[in-house]
Amino acid sequence: MGNIVQNLQQFWQFTGFANCNFQYLIMICFGLIFLYLGIKKEWEPMLLVPIGFGILIGNIPLFQGLKVSVYEEGSVLNILYQGVKQGFYPPLIFLGIGAMTDFSALISNPKLLLIGAAAQFGIFGAYAISLAFGFDPAQAGAIGIIGGADGPTAIFLSSRLAPDMMGAIAVSAYSYMALVPVIQPPIMRLLTTNKERLIRMKPPRAVSPTEKKLFPIIGFLLTAFIVPSGIPLLGMLFFGNLIKESGVTKRLANTASGPLIDIVTILIGITVGASTQADQFLQLRSIWIFIIGALSFVIATFTGVLFVKFFNLFLKEGNKINPLIGNAGVSAVPDAARVSNNVGREYDPNNFLMMHAMGPNVAGVIGSAVAAGMLLGFLG
Amino acid sequence: MKRIKILFTVVGLTLAVAASAQSQGQMRLNEYLVINTDDFQDDFGQQSAWFELFNASYGTVDIGGCYLSDDPTDLKKYQIPGSDVMTQIKPRQHALFWADNQPFRGTFHVNFDLANAKEIIFTKGDGKTIVDRIKVRHDLPENVSFGRTEDGIGSVDGKGEGWAVLDRTSPSTNNAMVDKAAKPDRMKQIDPYGWIMALTAMSVVFTALILLYFLFKAIGNANIKASNKKAAAAAGAASVAAPKTDFGEVPAETYAAIATAMHLYMVEEEAHDEEPFVVTMNPVDRTYTPWSTHIQGFRQTPTVIKKK
Repeated sequence: MGNIVQNLQQFWQFTGFANCNFQYLIMICFGLIFLYLGIKKEWEPMLLVPIGFGILIGNIPLFQGLKVSVYEEGSVLNILYQGVKQGFYPPLIFLGIGAMTDFSALISNPKLLLIGAAAQFGIFGAYAISLAFGFDPAQAGAIGIIGGADGPTAIFLSSRLAPDMMGAIAVSAYSYMALVPVIQPPIMRLLTTNKERLIRMKPPRAVSPTEKKLFPIIGFLLTAFIVPSGIPLLGMLFFGNLIKESGVTKRLANTASGPLIDIVTILIGITVGASTQADQFLQLRSIWIFIIGALSFVIATFTGVLFVKFFNLFLKEGNKINPLIGNAGVSAVPDAARVSNNVGREYDPNNFLMMHAMGPNVAGVIGSAVAAGMLLGFLG
Repeated sequence: MKRIKILFTVVGLTLAVAASAQSQGQMRLNEYLVINTDDFQDDFGQQSAWFELFNASYGTVDIGGCYLSDDPTDLKKYQIPGSDVMTQIKPRQHALFWADNQPFRGTFHVNFDLANAKEIIFTKGDGKTIVDRIKVRHDLPENVSFGRTEDGIGSVDGKGEGWAVLDRTSPSTNNAMVDKAAKPDRMKQIDPYGWIMALTAMSVVFTALILLYFLFKAIGNANIKASNKKAAAAAGAASVAAPKTDFGEVPAETYAAIATAMHLYMVEEEAHDEEPFVVTMNPVDRTYTPWSTHIQGFRQTPTVIKKK
């Protein structure tokens, strides 16, 4: 009898209840909020549900040595986490994004590329703010990339520049991507006049299959020659798009845009979530990362919309761009484009901006990959 | 045709950029040691004067066929053999040459020494274009080398800008120790507020996307012109080929389609607007099933071949 009681007492020491403290409970609350937002509100459920559950997995209190934690060498979660740590999940996600993305809107109206470039000010604005808050340049670069509104790029860069901050950066980037419908509309309304919101853009012209095939090839060669450090992301993005547009590799495109990206999204979501263990995550600097991350989205939206207004000064009547698509330059495909469309329709229900906004939206993906390459080149 | 020309132009330009990036013009004399008594040994166990070439580009450079010399009047004094795979210098890597005046010892042993040399000159394969030159200092102590303080950075005209007496010799390796934390630290010093980085990076992002914009603007315009031409040609051909079927504004095919549809609807009753929403399943009396057919088998049906 005594042995049974002793065993039960020992077993109690193994349980999460015995090892629990308030930090773990806070993180579990975060995880539950993510799950609520993903399932109930349907905000980026593909990301928030795996990350939210990952947070629960990573924050079950336990003692070291069981070889189950994401940070314990050799554990199953640690093996899966290597894709994040070594940075091979993000290029695979980019492969899928490339295979899913239709660049027609951009090819038919290539000047929209410039909006995607302008919105990258968010990255470097956040970089400058991070330096002002005392982060070192490598950490500042990793935080700044949150403004690229691109989860895989944020993970890729932070795994190289500031691996110890990667969990907070990834969660921050994905959270704000999910919050794009909340963050962007007030800024868009603030910066535009009623007349500007009603601008109707010319319908995009039909793009030939040859142009669609040429785009990934030329796009890759050009951007990779300029920023070779962005090759893993740019290469996979454009390769994914080529297998989609070539018309002869349908099976590859289907796999990249379907099962492959789904598998990697599950793995990246769950492991990033699990990497937010309370002792690693609940630090003052994580709060700063979240604050600067929010500012980076605000700056990116500001510069995107203001750039369109500036650009319109040089465009003839009839060719003007609706500044409400300026926000889409931040990436966050396709949510930011959807925000442009929804805000536009609030003022003119028959003005569908979705197709036009997809141009700067996908240009933002290219722009943020180039910017990440620059940061890696200077700071990596 | 025009589009193909544009494609070839773009590919040609890209290849030209790539080729120029990987040219022999990116090679730099990087370091030399005149008096070697207690420094690096060659494969024969000898301690001789040496000098180092550095590939400053981000592509592999083949220096086979290029020339090395210590005499400005004889640029072709030593030709680097072209058939040696070792002359393919990887990006940002070094090649070490022994100035021991014993060229028969291998590709990397030149036919002059540095004891009396005035300068070292690296010349392209054409034997005329000097890529880099550096004066040889004879006032250096034993086992002390003279080199670029940062690999590949500095003058190429022999004036020695960017060169200095090095703290230690570094044959076949970086002259300055590459510290992993060096880049961020340097950025912190030169750009404490991040503005330089922001402006540099944004100008690169804009440049990349502006170039893409111009390229696809040109490709788009070419495509529109080509399709307009095609459409005009097709319209011309149609008007020449079928002048008799012109029924005013409506083409004859439209009348034919309408007539067929009316015939199907009124006479043959094959087309209908209302579906009955009834599915009838009748048993089919058929004993044949493809599961038992030999065609579906994995193996071919064996056949006997009779010998004649």
